[in-house]
Amino acid sequence: MPDWRKSVCRGFINIWSLQDNRWLAGTPRSDDDWATKEGHNIVPHVLIIGAGSTGSATAHDLAQRGLRVTVIERGEVAFGTTGRNHCLLHSGGRYCVTDPESATECIEENMILRKIMPDLLELNDGLFVAITEADLVFKDRFLQGCAACHVPAREISVEHALAVEPFLNPKILAAIQVPDGVFEPFRFCLAFLATAQENGATIRTYSEVTDLLCAGKNVTGVRIRDQHTGKQEALKVDLVVNAAGPWAGEIAAKAGVGVPEIPTAGVMVALDCRLNNLVLNRLNKPSDGDIIVPQRATSVIGTTSWAVENPDLITIPPEHVDRMITQGQQLIPAVKKVPMRAKMAVARPLIARSGIAARELSRTFECFDHERDGTNGFVTITGGKTTTARAMAEKVSDMVCRKLDISAECRTRDTPLCSYRLFFQQRGSRNQSFVGAPGDRSSGRECFR
Amino acid sequence: MNMLKVPLQIFRYKPGQTPGYDTFTVEIPATAHVIDAIDAVWTSHDHSLAFRRACHHSSCGSCAIRINGLEKLPCVTRVTDVWDGRSQVRLDPLRNFPIVSDLVVDRADFFRRMSAADMAMICEAEAFLPFTVDTFAVADLEPKLVELPENFSRFTRFEKCIECGICMSACPTMAADEKFLGPAGLAAIHQARKKTLDPVKVEHLLGLADGEHGVWRCHSAFECTEACPQAVDPAGKIMALRRELIARRFLKMLGK
Repeated sequence: MPDWRKSVCRGFINIWSLQDNRWLAGTPRSDDDWATKEGHNIVPHVLIIGAGSTGSATAHDLAQRGLRVTVIERGEVAFGTTGRNHCLLHSGGRYCVTDPESATECIEENMILRKIMPDLLELNDGLFVAITEADLVFKDRFLQGCAACHVPAREISVEHALAVEPFLNPKILAAIQVPDGVFEPFRFCLAFLATAQENGATIRTYSEVTDLLCAGKNVTGVRIRDQHTGKQEALKVDLVVNAAGPWAGEIAAKAGVGVPEIPTAGVMVALDCRLNNLVLNRLNKPSDGDIIVPQRATSVIGTTSWAVENPDLITIPPEHVDRMITQGQQLIPAVKKVPMRAKMAVARPLIARSGIAARELSRTFECFDHERDGTNGFVTITGGKTTTARAMAEKVSDMVCRKLDISAECRTRDTPLCSYRLFFQQRGSRNQSFVGAPGDRSSGRECFR
Repeated sequence: MNMLKVPLQIFRYKPGQTPGYDTFTVEIPATAHVIDAIDAVWTSHDHSLAFRRACHHSSCGSCAIRINGLEKLPCVTRVTDVWDGRSQVRLDPLRNFPIVSDLVVDRADFFRRMSAADMAMICEAEAFLPFTVDTFAVADLEPKLVELPENFSRFTRFEKCIECGICMSACPTMAADEKFLGPAGLAAIHQARKKTLDPVKVEHLLGLADGEHGVWRCHSAFECTEACPQAVDPAGKIMALRRELIARRFLKMLGK
């Protein structure tokens, strides 16, 4: 290559890397950093409502694509539905017969999450066990369903299942092993948000959206109240992503549009000790109290399903708790000997389909561009599972980029996330410093690019 | 459903304002946990109350506060266990942390300590069940040995420590030395040291523990072990680190 060409190339690379360094700074940025001298935004500004699993993963996706991202959350990270979920990293087995679409999404994302957050997953697999003859009849359908959805599943002997799980009901008739896992919802979100922050995103917790700013029918920003200072503020942005989970309908109503979503609550009961190593499922269609997810030193029995009006006002029906304990005993008889450590309930955002009961509603997700309702600058992403949060983020980010006319590819499939411990460190006061240990994952930058 | 009317006295602080207490009376089921009472204040009395919550079953460690002066996780503390039926239940933020607002404290420096120790959150599991935080505290359940599934080399589990910061709040030394690595930090160093064979890393971790703000700062009050909701026993871990450090010094003196 002639010399002059070399220097031109080098020049381009230099300019590129200089810009790159700017994005890499990893420090909170002011409006000026994102604007030209004339005050125009050079990078489109996207605001995400909600810092649950969907909002967190979307913040990471869009920030990695180079957009300016602000997340608004009324409480702490994972304050709503994500925080109180069942912690199950779905293999898809639970839905492979009744909801193959969701099952396929689950197994695909399960494998991706193993790559991008290996430090935050208990990977001990799961068992589907048959207790009654009816369960046994379901077995073939289950195995066919798993095969159709590409969920790896294999039958293991009853003796082996009981050796692995000594507290399992000794009367089981069959056991099938699937790649279920367990995560921890709070740190799940923190890892996504820490990575987003490294890429320049601003995460504003304890900021409640009080209203949407509208120009005609179009959404142009949000009005927020800072719960720490009590100050009201208007934020003008290029696009608003509504990732408020079961509260998405409430937010969308502020723009005068609707989201076909049914907040559907479920009760979970955590025990005072851990009685199983693997996730235990009843080998049948999903129903109440048919799954026990172990996590740390506890086992969590779940769950029920009923539609609620206001996701903020859920009273735990005592009979649901009793049902968890009685149903849980079918899988692990020792459940009745163990004191209850905690009980919780939260609403899932399920997408409404006419004439279908809450338990049968698909656990898949959907992205709504409210341009269809005549409102521009506003999209809603809802439904889904925490397991599929990354895929939800990819889908809504693709839509956001299409709407903003940006051609940036999604790279979240192969990007290992930063340490969740970075999330608070990036934000807090820096009056003390501790040197990271050699090979400290949390001090290295190379992990997220 | 049997309902209770519980008076709560909650610490309030907003940046730039004088701190104080607000009193609320909430109606909650008799079986409710303290986090449900806080949630009731937030949903029906004062939406500006700042508090943390996520998992509701002592796994995330985010909700830790002081209830009647003692560090606890409100998600697993029943209201009836901390309320005498007459007086107010007092809720304060954790000590030894900068207060951001109301019950929310700044955890940046805490996580900086935890990063310094770099304890992996996932560890290998014991090959028996049931597994409790206080091993086998559960009545009439015999521990049983567990066989690994085929194609498995080990079970994995989240660490006992949930990084709630309760031990840091209970520790009397923290108030005297704000750079003290603290019970959680030192316990994490102990865990990380146990897991690694890399001599460089071991040297670094023991160096941190042996440093100015390390194990020798601890007054052996054992408040951390007393308060820990997950039975991590940080004080025990600090003592174990001290023993190892002393043993290494002796060996050094002997020229080994």
